Amino acid sequence: MSLIEMNSIYKSYRNIGFETQVLNDITLHINEGDYVSIIGPSGAGKSTLMAIAGCLSQPTSGEYILDGEEVGKLGDRKLSQARNEKIGFVFQAFHLLPGVTALDNVILPLVYSRKISSDIKERAREVLAKVGLEHRLHHTPGQLSGGEQQRVTIARSLINNPPIILADEPTGNLDSENGKETMKTFDRLVKEGKTIVLITHDSEVAEHADRIISIRDGKIASDTKQQLTKASVI
Amino acid sequence: MRIFKNLIQALRGLKLNRGNTLLMTLGVMVGIASLTVIVAIGFGIKVKVLDRISNLGFGPESFSVMAGAGKMFFSRSKNTTSMSLQDAEDLLALPTVRLVVPRQRKRMQIINKKEFTSTRVYGVTPDWQRARGWQVVDGVFLSDSDLDRKKKVVVLGATPVRKLFKDTDPIGKMVRLQNNYYEVIGLLQEKGLTESGYDPDDRALIPLTTSMSRLTHETHLHSIKVVTLDASQVPKTMEAVKRVLRRNHNLSILSEDDFRFVTPEGIMEWVTESAQAMNRMLILISTVSLLVGGIVIMNILLVSISERVREIGIRRCFGARKSDITLQFLFESILVSLLGGILGIGLGLSISFGLKRLDILPTQVTWEPFVLSFVFCTLIGLIFGIHPARKAALMSPEESIRS
Repeated sequence: MSLIEMNSIYKSYRNIGFETQVLNDITLHINEGDYVSIIGPSGAGKSTLMAIAGCLSQPTSGEYILDGEEVGKLGDRKLSQARNEKIGFVFQAFHLLPGVTALDNVILPLVYSRKISSDIKERAREVLAKVGLEHRLHHTPGQLSGGEQQRVTIARSLINNPPIILADEPTGNLDSENGKETMKTFDRLVKEGKTIVLITHDSEVAEHADRIISIRDGKIASDTKQQLTKASVI
Repeated sequence: MRIFKNLIQALRGLKLNRGNTLLMTLGVMVGIASLTVIVAIGFGIKVKVLDRISNLGFGPESFSVMAGAGKMFFSRSKNTTSMSLQDAEDLLALPTVRLVVPRQRKRMQIINKKEFTSTRVYGVTPDWQRARGWQVVDGVFLSDSDLDRKKKVVVLGATPVRKLFKDTDPIGKMVRLQNNYYEVIGLLQEKGLTESGYDPDDRALIPLTTSMSRLTHETHLHSIKVVTLDASQVPKTMEAVKRVLRRNHNLSILSEDDFRFVTPEGIMEWVTESAQAMNRMLILISTVSLLVGGIVIMNILLVSISERVREIGIRRCFGARKSDITLQFLFESILVSLLGGILGIGLGLSISFGLKRLDILPTQVTWEPFVLSFVFCTLIGLIFGIHPARKAALMSPEESIRS
């Protein structure tokens, strides 16, 4: 069964009479454990696609089924729950809460979680240790380097153990060293069974994935699987 | 659990946005402080007035007639000379009247050798003591013969005695009022300062006739106190007094009274009226000041939210519901109001005590402003917080993380 199932998704923005068609008939199925890159030039609609995939916005028309639930029919409570439990976001601009320690930033998804867990801090420590930040628990984003901030972001996306990681240009703000480090983390997560959707305009980054979907002018231009490349990366 | 979690997030939000928190707190603090001070002053004045009234020496069966048209203690016409000793005699002749005390009053210097002080000097008759029931602790009170012979004798209250005589016995000593020497024949029992600071012992009593010929050089009376047989006779007696005085003063039907009544009920009514007017004013001022505080909170919260759009977006991305965001911002608003309220009460109390201590205004600290502030602060937080909170919650998460 597909974890992410999009059928004929259209998205347009209306701006003072002008209607801009951003997504134009996107049909896309992503299975559990897939490692997918969505590539395309800026303005192609990648970020809009990710916002819809992440339940952050609703398509103008079309059907989006996330893990068996039709997202368009969900109310705010269920939508929030889906964002909380099914998806972990990793952003290009990190989007960490300023002035808040790495530990507390990582805990954020648990604040809004239905599950009541007593060992919240312990879990946050574990996840931060997993991304190699056990020595930076009480640093605020301003005291962390870009690479470290991105690792906090990844830790935050993992804490609630969601099946899907949505990463929007995760290497865009990083130097090549940290970029490679981040990509290695994603490669490892796929092996642990996560479904990863990577949005990028960098073909080198996209090559890490098993499947590269190219988007142009709101449409899927190509969708290729590449077993060989993955093997060579490993 | 959700409420508690959002409360924690609100606390964190307030801590992180210290600048805004400080401004909001300040807004409420000033409002609540002014409320506390205003209420304290209001109560202080009320207590002082009530206290002053209770020390006028009124029983329920007596009232005063003051010379000059007007209301209560405020005369509209100065120097009304129509009230005479004849009036007092005619009033005593009324069947329901037990006692009348005609009176002249003047504040002046009283001197004993090198010591002097300013006191209220009253020209009264022996009935004054019976009407007020005020004991003489040493010596005697004024007598009818003192009055008939216009003797230069004086009965002193405890305050001038203390100021003029220190440790020596004043009985038989001479004190000077204007150019005449008066013999001290009696001392009034000390009543002590009242709560509001009024000193009933600050007085000197001389025979009315002496006062007329030597002190005021006036033959008219300033007031007449009328004591009826019992309290139920007061309204009837007032009617009769009015008839007698209008006849004696040759007032035509068209002209208004040239005298006014001061009665215990009248005073109470007057006090209640002024208290109500004052309360209305207090409520108005407090409402305005709290409204201002509320608007300050709302505006700063709105500004704060536009600064924190991204934070809201991030929270929404990781599972915060609209209601979570609403709750968080409502909590921030309520917490700030309560903090401002507490600080405001502290500031208000200090100012109230300061005013009292420095003798600028009478203030009375009561529990009402505390309860009021608490209720108002929570309400302000709720009312003025709900709009920004809803605004924050209704932002699209996609747009807010992009901003």
